[in-house]
This record gives sequence, C-alpha cells and structure tokens, in this order.
Amino acid sequence: MTEMTKSTIGRRQVLKGAGVVAAGTAALATPVKQAEAAKKVPRWAMVMDLRRCIGCSACTVACKAENNVSLGRFRTVIQHKMIGTFPNVTKVNLPLMCNHCTSNKEDASAKVPPCVKICPEYPGERQTYVTPEGKKIRYRGGATYRRPDGLILVDVEKCIGCGKCIDGCPYGVRSFDPFTKAGKKPEKQAVDKCDFCKHRIDNGVEPACVNTCQGRARIFGDLNDPESEVAKLVKEHNLEKSVLLPEEKTNPHVFYIDPDNLLKTAYRQREKGKLDHYVDTLDG
Amino acid sequence: MATARKDMAETAASRSNVYGLLAAVFRAEPSAAFLAQVKSSEFANVLESLDLSLGDDFQDTPCDQLVEGLAVEYTRLFIGPGPRISPHESTNIEFENPMEGTLWGPQTVKVKKFIEAAGLAYDELFDGMPDHVSAELEFMQRLATKEAEAWEERNEEFATNILKIEERFLDEHLSLWISRFCDKVIEHSEHPFYQGFAEVTKGFLEYEGKSLQAFNSGTGNGRGFPD
Amino acid sequence: MKSLNRRNFMSLSAASGAVLAAGAVDSRPALAGSVTFAKGGRDFSPVTGRERKAIPTACWQCVTRDSLIGFVEDGRLVKLEGHPESIRTNGVICAKGQAGVNQVYFPDRILHPLRRVGKRGEHKWKRISWDEALDEIAARLKPLRDAGTPEKFMFQYGRMKASQSKVMSDFMAAYGTKTIGNHTSICEGGKWTSQELMWGGHYDNWDFDKTDFVLIFGSNMLNTHTNHIPVAQKLIEAHVGRKVPVYVFDVRLTNTAAHADEWIPINVGKDGLVALSMVNVIMNEGLYKKDLFKFMKVSADRKASMDEKIAAVKEQVAKFTPEFAEKESMVPAGKIRDLARRFAKSKSGVVVSYRGTIAHQHGADQERAMMLLAAVTGNVNSPGGRCQGVGAGWKSPKSKHPKARALDINHGFPGQVAYPTHKVSNQVLKMIKDGRNGRPEVYMWACYNPVYVNGEVNENREIMMDESIMPFLVCSTIVYDESSSLADIIVPDVTYLERWDWEDMVSPTQVAEYYFRQPLIKPLGESRDFGDMCVGLAKRLGIELAWKDKEDFVRQSCEMTPGVKEAGGFEYMKKHGVWHDKNANPDYLAFETRIPASALEADGVIFDEASGVYWNWHESKAKTEAEAKTVGYQNTPKSYKGFVGQEVDGEVYRGFKPDAVNKSGFLEFYSELMKAKGMPVFPTYTPIPEHVEMAPDELHLTTYKVAVHTHSRTSHCKWLSEIYHDNPGWMNPKTAAERGLKDGDVIRVHNKLGGITTNVHVTEGIIPGVIAISYHVGREHSGRYGSGSPSPIPGVADDPDFNNKWWDKHGVHPNAIIASSPDEISGQQRWMDTVVRVEKA
Repeated sequence: MTEMTKSTIGRRQVLKGAGVVAAGTAALATPVKQAEAAKKVPRWAMVMDLRRCIGCSACTVACKAENNVSLGRFRTVIQHKMIGTFPNVTKVNLPLMCNHCTSNKEDASAKVPPCVKICPEYPGERQTYVTPEGKKIRYRGGATYRRPDGLILVDVEKCIGCGKCIDGCPYGVRSFDPFTKAGKKPEKQAVDKCDFCKHRIDNGVEPACVNTCQGRARIFGDLNDPESEVAKLVKEHNLEKSVLLPEEKTNPHVFYIDPDNLLKTAYRQREKGKLDHYVDTLDG
Repeated sequence: MATARKDMAETAASRSNVYGLLAAVFRAEPSAAFLAQVKSSEFANVLESLDLSLGDDFQDTPCDQLVEGLAVEYTRLFIGPGPRISPHESTNIEFENPMEGTLWGPQTVKVKKFIEAAGLAYDELFDGMPDHVSAELEFMQRLATKEAEAWEERNEEFATNILKIEERFLDEHLSLWISRFCDKVIEHSEHPFYQGFAEVTKGFLEYEGKSLQAFNSGTGNGRGFPD
Repeated sequence: MKSLNRRNFMSLSAASGAVLAAGAVDSRPALAGSVTFAKGGRDFSPVTGRERKAIPTACWQCVTRDSLIGFVEDGRLVKLEGHPESIRTNGVICAKGQAGVNQVYFPDRILHPLRRVGKRGEHKWKRISWDEALDEIAARLKPLRDAGTPEKFMFQYGRMKASQSKVMSDFMAAYGTKTIGNHTSICEGGKWTSQELMWGGHYDNWDFDKTDFVLIFGSNMLNTHTNHIPVAQKLIEAHVGRKVPVYVFDVRLTNTAAHADEWIPINVGKDGLVALSMVNVIMNEGLYKKDLFKFMKVSADRKASMDEKIAAVKEQVAKFTPEFAEKESMVPAGKIRDLARRFAKSKSGVVVSYRGTIAHQHGADQERAMMLLAAVTGNVNSPGGRCQGVGAGWKSPKSKHPKARALDINHGFPGQVAYPTHKVSNQVLKMIKDGRNGRPEVYMWACYNPVYVNGEVNENREIMMDESIMPFLVCSTIVYDESSSLADIIVPDVTYLERWDWEDMVSPTQVAEYYFRQPLIKPLGESRDFGDMCVGLAKRLGIELAWKDKEDFVRQSCEMTPGVKEAGGFEYMKKHGVWHDKNANPDYLAFETRIPASALEADGVIFDEASGVYWNWHESKAKTEAEAKTVGYQNTPKSYKGFVGQEVDGEVYRGFKPDAVNKSGFLEFYSELMKAKGMPVFPTYTPIPEHVEMAPDELHLTTYKVAVHTHSRTSHCKWLSEIYHDNPGWMNPKTAAERGLKDGDVIRVHNKLGGITTNVHVTEGIIPGVIAISYHVGREHSGRYGSGSPSPIPGVADDPDFNNKWWDKHGVHPNAIIASSPDEISGQQRWMDTVVRVEKA
C-alpha cells in the first residue's frame, strides 16, 4: 500500500472565486489562497444539466458512501419519467436534492426559505462564518439555518425533532434520520438532508455527487463569481426561473438546464419527508 | 495488606485463566487434546456445579468424533454458511446509528486502538477482525496476567491502574455486546457444547463486570470483590 | 446455569487453568507482544484526528476497470473515487464503482477455506486451513499430471483480465492443462469473432472526440457497456457539447435512446438488416467514400478494380431496400434513407453495435453488416470513426511449461460452431454431461457462477450436483452463490480492493493507458488472491514458477514493460497508479502503412497467390515450406500467426492484420472462411428460425442490464440492490391489452423450458410484441442483500444496516427459460432469440 502524495494528483480547478482551488479528491485538498480572489461571500449553487444526466445513479450511491447514509434513505436521487406515447416517447432523468433555497412565498424579503422560517429554533444565537479569504460574517444560527454562503444546514444539536421543516419544504427532501437524536430533545429524531457536502466544499473540494458524475450533468460552484461555470451557465441558459416549483417563490439554488421544457411535466412532487426512489427505477 | 495483595494476585491470575479458556473456545474449532481436558473430571465437576451440560453424550463420545462434529458446528455458527453469528463487537453492539455497526467498522478501530495502546500488536497470522470475540477475551486475559504480576511485584499502583483499564475495556467494549452475542449462540447452536460455553461466557462476564466495578469503586468486602 | 460467585468462579478458574496448562490450546494467540502501557503513561481516549490515506488503484466491478483512488482510514476502506489523472476516465466512476466498499465488507462474505461435509447442495461445511485445502486440491491434481492427463484439470473463469489472466494461464500452462474455459460467449464473443473475420483483432472504440455523427444499434452504452465510463462521457460530450447527432435503434427506450436525437424502435433481430438497407441507399445514391474500398475485400477476386468492388457491394445489398427493411424491422423506409444520407455525408461517423445486435443466431453476421456500413462511408480506423481498440501492452514473466493438453469441451459440440474463436462457454456444462470429448476430473472456477449466468439454470444445477460426471469441484469466490454452494472445496478469494494487478483496458482516446491495482487494505480473514493460491499449488506439485507471488508478478511486469519501466517501474505505479506516453498519438489509418521489402525477404516468408498474403510459414503449424505452399495460407493451421503483409494493387501493406483466423490482410466482407464453413460469404440478412416460427400469441423475450449492477457479481452490494432489486417484465400497452394485463399484474412467462412468475410493467418505452426482463436479480443465493437472506438459511441479524433493508422483492431470473444455445457462426449465446408466452398468473 502506498500513500499518494499531494503532488501526484492532477488538480482540476472546480471552485473558482471562492479563493480555493479544488483537488479532484477530498483527502488531497489543500485550500490555496488566491490573491486576486473576489472578496465577495460565495453563493454556492448547483446546475443540473438535463441534457447530460443519463440516469446512472452514480451520484445517489456516491452520496450514500460519502455521507454514510443508511439503507432506506436518500439525500439525492434521480427521478425517471417516461413522457409521450409509443413510438413518440422520451424519458427525463431528473436529479433531485435539497435546493438550498433563499426565500419563501409569504415573505420574499425574509431571505430564508420556508424550512428555516418555520424552524422554532430559528433565529438562534449569532454565529460567525469565515469566508475563504478570512472575512468574518455574522449570521443567525438555528436548528435549520442559512449560512452566509447560501448553504441551508441542519444543526442536529439544536434540533428538537418537531418535523416542521419537513412539512415546510415543498420539495419533500427532508426526512427524520432515525439514527441521529435531536440534540435538544433526544427522545426525538433529528432532521437530515443534503448539505452540499459541506465538509468537502469547506476544504475546497466539490461535492461527492459532482465528483462522480460521468455526464458532467452536475456543475457546482459560486454564483457570486461571474467567472464560475455555474454563473456562466445560469446566465447563458437564463436559468433564474428554471428551477423546481418556481411558483413557491423559494428562490432555489439548484438550477436545471432544460431546453426541451420538460421540467414541469417530469417533476413529481415528493411525498413529505421522503425521497422515494425505487418506484422510478422500473423505467431505468 | 500482604494477604490482600496475595488475594488480589490470585484473583487476577484466576480471572486470566478463565479469559484464556474462553478465548480458546471462540478462537477456533476445538482440538482433541482440548476436548480431552474439558472432559476431565475437574472441569466436569465445575460444569456440574454450575448446573451446565455440554451434552448428554459429551463424556461418552470419543474425542475424534467430537472434533469433527464441533468443527462443522463452529463453521456453521461463526464462519458460514449457516446462521453465521458474526463474532465481532462492531456487528453486535447496539448503535444509535447502525451505519457504525458494519463489519470492520469504526467500532472495530476503537477496539484495535485500545488494544494497541496497551502495547500489544495483532499477531501477523491472526486472520480475524481486530474486534473478534476471542481477541477481546485474550486481551482481558493478558491484562489480568499483567495485573497478577504487578500484585506479585508489590507494584500496587500499577496493579490498580490495570484494574481500571480492565474495567474500562469491559465497560466500553466487551460488556456492551458479549451477552447479546452469547444469546445468539445459545439460540442458534445445535450443539450443547457451544450453548454451554456461551452460558459460561455470559455468566462470567456478568460476574466480572460486578466484581471490577465493586473493586474500583471501593465497595464490596475488604478484598475489593464481592463474595 | 447458576450464576457465578467467588467460590464457583475460583473452581472454574482452576479447571480452566488446568486446560490451559495441559497445553491443550494449540491455536495461536491473537495478540503479540506484552502489555507495556504503564511506562508510556498513554491514555486510552480514542484517537480523534483521523487521517485518510489516498491510494491509487483500479476498479473491477465490471470489465471497464476504471482507475480509482481509495481512501483508507485506520486500516478501513471508507470511500472510492475516480482517479483524476486517468486519461481513460477523467476521474469519474459509476454507481457500481462507488459501491465497491460493499464488496469488501458485506456481511456474508466467504473468508475462510471450506470443505463440503454434507451432500452437494446440502450446505454443510467445515472450515479447513489453507494448507489442508491446497493439499487436497494438489492431491487431486498430481495424479492427473503424473498420468499424463493434465487436461482433466479444467479451469473456468468469469472475469479474469490483464495480470489476473496472465498469472492464471501461466500457472495452468506450467501444470500442463489448456482446458481453460471462459465466459465470453455469454458476453459479446460473437462480436469479437465477427471482427476477427473482418479487420482482425477485436474490440472497437468509437472516436467520439472527433466524430460528426453517431448511430447506435442495440447498446445502452450510456448506462451499461464494457468500456462504460470512458466512452459514455465522451458520447455525452460529443452530443451535448458539440451537438453531434445521435440516433439509437433499440427495442427499448433505454437511457441512451432517451438521450439521443431520436429513439428509433426496431423489431428484435433486425439491426443488421437496417444497416444493410442503409448501405443499399448509400451505394445506390453514390454517397459512399472510395477511400477504404482499396483495402476491402468484397468479392472472390482480390484484384478487383474499384469499379468492380463498388458494383459488387451494390449487387450484394440490392435486395435490402429500405422498403423491405421497413416491413421486417418497422423502421420507416424514409427514416432509413434520411439517416443513411446524413450519415454518409457527414465528415465522419461511428456505428456502434452491441449485444442487442449480436446475441442472436447469425449475430456475428449482423456485426459484419455494421462494419460494412462503417466501411463504405470511410469510417474505419479513421479520425471520428469506428476504430480498433488500443490498450496497454504489458510484458510479463513466463514460467517454463510442458506442451499443454486440452479436453475439447470449450468449443461447442462437433460441427456446432464455425469459428468459436472466443470459445463456447455456454455449451461447457452440456459437453461435460454429454461426455463424448471427455470430462474433467477436477473442475475449478473463479469469479464465475456457471449455474446462474448461463441459460437453462436448472439443468446447470443438475449437472453440477451430479458427482458421477463432475467428481471434484473447487471454487475461488467471495460469495456463497448458486454455484459455489455446490463446490467440494471453496477457497476465499480476495476482492479487487485487496490485490495486485496491472491493467490494460482500452482507452477511448486511442492512446494506451497503463494502470495499476494495489491492495487498499490487508485482505480480510484468510482471503487469498487466486494467483497466490496458484503459487501454493505449484509448490505442492513441484512446479517452478517464474514469479514468487502475485505482487512479484506485477512487480516484474512493471520492470520489464517499456515506458512503465523508464517512468520508474513498480514504485512509480504504486505511487501514481496510471501511466501513458505523453508523446503518443492515435495511430489512424495504420492499414495504409507500407511493409518494407526487407521484411518480405526474411527467412520463411512466402507469398500466397490466392489471398495476396505474405506470411512466414515458420510461425504456423506447417512442417515444411513445401507443405505451407501446397496447403496455402488459408488452410494451413495458424498461418495467420506468420502474417507479414497484404499485397494490394501491387504494393504490400500492413493492411488489417489477422489475429485469430486465417483471413487475409484485407478488411474482409467477402469471406472465404465463412464460405468454407457454409456460412454467408457476404454480410446478409438471415431471419432467426425461432422468430420465423413464432405463433401469433407468442412474444420475444429480450434481456437487458441496468446501470447499477453487473450481471451476477453485485447483488450482494447493498447500495446497489437498494436501488435495483426487482425486475418486472416491460411490456407495451398494446401487447398488455391483448392479454388483458394491466400494470403490476402478476404474470407467468413460459416456454418449453419452464416458466417464471413476475409482475408486468406496462410502459410506452418498448415495442409491441416483446417482453423485456433484466438480469442481475432473482438470486437463489447471494448474501442477504441479494437473495433476501444470508444464504443458505435465514441467519442472525448481525449486520445492523440489515434492519433498514426495506425491500422484500428480489426479482426473477430469466435464464431459467432461455436455452443455452450458440450462434452457429461464433458460438455467441443467443440471449435475444427466446420466444415465450405470457399470461396473467
């Protein structure tokens, strides 16, 4: 067994503008300061290119492996849907996960998504976020809260297991983790969902689902950096409105490149608290 | 004090013996020589006094025959195919998150580090996982032997230290899963030999837990162990 | 039992001490060294700062074998990712690769050698030591060798490649047996045979980086392919990034078809016909490119002029009009014309074909039609075209060996198959049952599951259960499955994440990548690499091998392989995992290379007038030059091995060098070899007999694979079986309505071989007249996540995640009603020719 040294692995710059250069793999990541990096706070976002998603489920399994997710739960899935009548039929593979939204229907200026707004533990005590350049930003914590870089996160220590955020999420991506106790009410289960692989991106490495995507259908980066691929794609394909359930006014930060306008037809709103998966793979 | 120390040394050596025997039972299929000793009157009497039987025909069956039958049973129980009771801490301990409880899982690492921190290494030819029941029992055997030596050498501080470590290993590891494991063996074994030794193991570890706790907390009789 | 008190504790201890003191415990201690913690004053708190080691290695879930980085924490494998420096994969792996961790730690893994003590299939075992296992196997092998019948030792593998395969064949050769079976005929052997008859060599790559048009027949290459990740990502890039048109012909709306410009539904077994009708359009409309015709053999006359060649092709495909093709295939004639024209007019284009095309009677001929379409448009071994695959050319140590002998049971029954160049694995058990060509005394297999993966599962099981015809069965495996459960001795194989290998799978860039596999962790339990097992057997048999163990074999290979050696050999590969020549470029149009006159004057080189081939008769089986000249190139056994060059229009070229059959150096479409065996001399359309005879109420049964499983080696991987564990039969609404079926109904699918019961999945994504049932599932034994229970009996819930297993369906296995039947040209298993009736159960 030989350990691979950092220098032996080629680097692919993935997370531009955040002041970090990403290696292809988690362990090898060494955040490197870029002198000319933008001073802005990053706004992490993902673009799902439906032209490129081939429904292979590598992302789903990579997420399980990376985050040690037990059987019975998924943080990201591919929804398969046949559209049309033989022989004029096609199929959409739709990657789904937490949209890391910014706002909500009732109060567009709130700058928090419905799951955060509804959290009884939000707003909690002040926290500090340090940008990759070392700039400190104060924000309000909570059991479910929004970090200044746009990540919607769960703090299991503060969670009371009430499940209101599960009901609040219009996308059904949140679920109780039967194996994590809610910190403030240990007799209840804490809530769990995709966290954009926070532990990786904080070290300058792209999320596990992005890393393994053979079609490069998942593109991750900083929307606040006009040079980033996600920013360019959002601009080029006019993706501001190309999100799931725009009528919910949640301002999601997972965008879909959907030139054939299939998103609306293909998306089946999920049952609360469950990213069920198997029912779709019959058509896989 | 001298008597108490002698008692402590004797107790530790005695505990080491039982751990050693139980480690041997779960390490591998029994040999004919081993079975001959288990058949000895001394051991038989002990079993009888504990109200335990290794099978009605255990004493009368020739060792060679027992060896074959027990080897098949050992395979069925612990190697598979068969009920295949995983004899490992990581797969038997109850976790809040079952993802911790995988074969060669994080718990296995904890056991390995605990044992290695005591200056021991796993034998190169040992082919089990680091948290195999026999490795854990053997570890306790080694600790108790060392403890006995310390008492003999009048190194009370060291001896007491080892006792604390023994208790800690029981608390953090062995006691957390051994009875669950033994219950599975008792339920699934088709041979009274393994059912019997599972009973002994379970009973002994319960006794151990109580004894060590009593000693380390200073309760019990003057010798630190309950009668 | 009474509870312990001090008194009975002390007597238990005394008795225990007596047992120990008597030296009756002969097992080795688990722990070495002595307790030393007092001095150091070390604490016992768990170490918190965890380090993840990154180790380059390679995948083995499927034959694609992507380069990997394995992450190891405290001696535990925790995560696998793609190797970012691999030019084959660009750091990407698939779902199966991501689940590789499951291969190592699944709770039902076989970790010790086992000897059967009950009847076969009774599931009664005794753990034995490796020494006992090897002694027993050697005791069976030695007499066979001593008696001069080493061929009665048969070895068969499912997946062995690169160094794994070399080590095995080196050992077998040193022992003296060539009775070595494979599994290629149930995979895509027919495609390879077909290619060997045309361009020599096998394996095609598609130059997606440069191509301008893509036609895909019978291949879900974006999800399942023998070179999946490398080619799939390039296809997506071409299609989305460069807007290259992609059209997919398939009976099912696969994920590949769904991503094409258009899914073109096609009837079962008609791919070749559609390709021929496209050639018809291209020839009749003068859209062909002349470039390649010079090197094509399209008629009996090897000296035919360009015009004669063009006329010959026209004549051969004249009857395959688009209208005729439409009638048979349901592909509209207008669509065929349109695609033929656009394809021919594109600067370059690729024709992809796979099992949907070739797993038929005369599937090998359908592949010839595909190649013809590529050839008349000038898209063979050209930029952006269909190219011969380029993989790494490793050198490796070879042991001395006697002349090996073989039982003739790997090539089908006499007269059954014309060119079984990749053997006929689907007939091996039938031949053993038949016995006319002898039976192996010892049958050993590794990384293979003969009962499950072949057709006629029930017969396979019966044959392997019968000790009178298969007296001694040895299996190297990691899982207790449908076949290993019948073995006499099971030895525990390592997983691919615990072993050494060099690797050589084809590169999509046409530049070879040399890559490497190394153990990420110490092998679990007593598992041992197959190669190291061979070393143990060799020692017992008195066989001297040129390598000490598998690691040494790989080390030596690294030190003797040009390029890798200069880069730093074994140590370099351990550190980097991948190497390629940075100055190498794709060798397009290599067939146009001239052969220097000196090569033609070398000792033994003679000219064959009939074929136009220069060849060295020394390399063949010919005994004298006179014999070689009299018998001629085509009919001298192994003459192809001496191929030097092909005379074309008075010049000698490298041409399309043969590597398995005595073809000429032309790209052969008019094949004297096919003619000699009574097979179609030129690519044609031969209706499949079973399909011609179909009754109106019968359906085609087609099979397929999904992205998250290999055929038979991943169902015990929980993350994969969680996603895919059930396989209802796909059926078009029209076909379902005719049978009164609605989605989800329980159905019985049956024919003369028997029946299976499953549900029907009514979907618009399949043509009428067909039921499609996938592979992978329907496991009798494959661990608790595959079959539903820890085989062979429900066991103990000692894998905590097992409590979270939420699915209780485990699918059906279609092979029970599929005949083990080879294509008469190649031996390819005819997976797609099965006919069934379907009723509500």
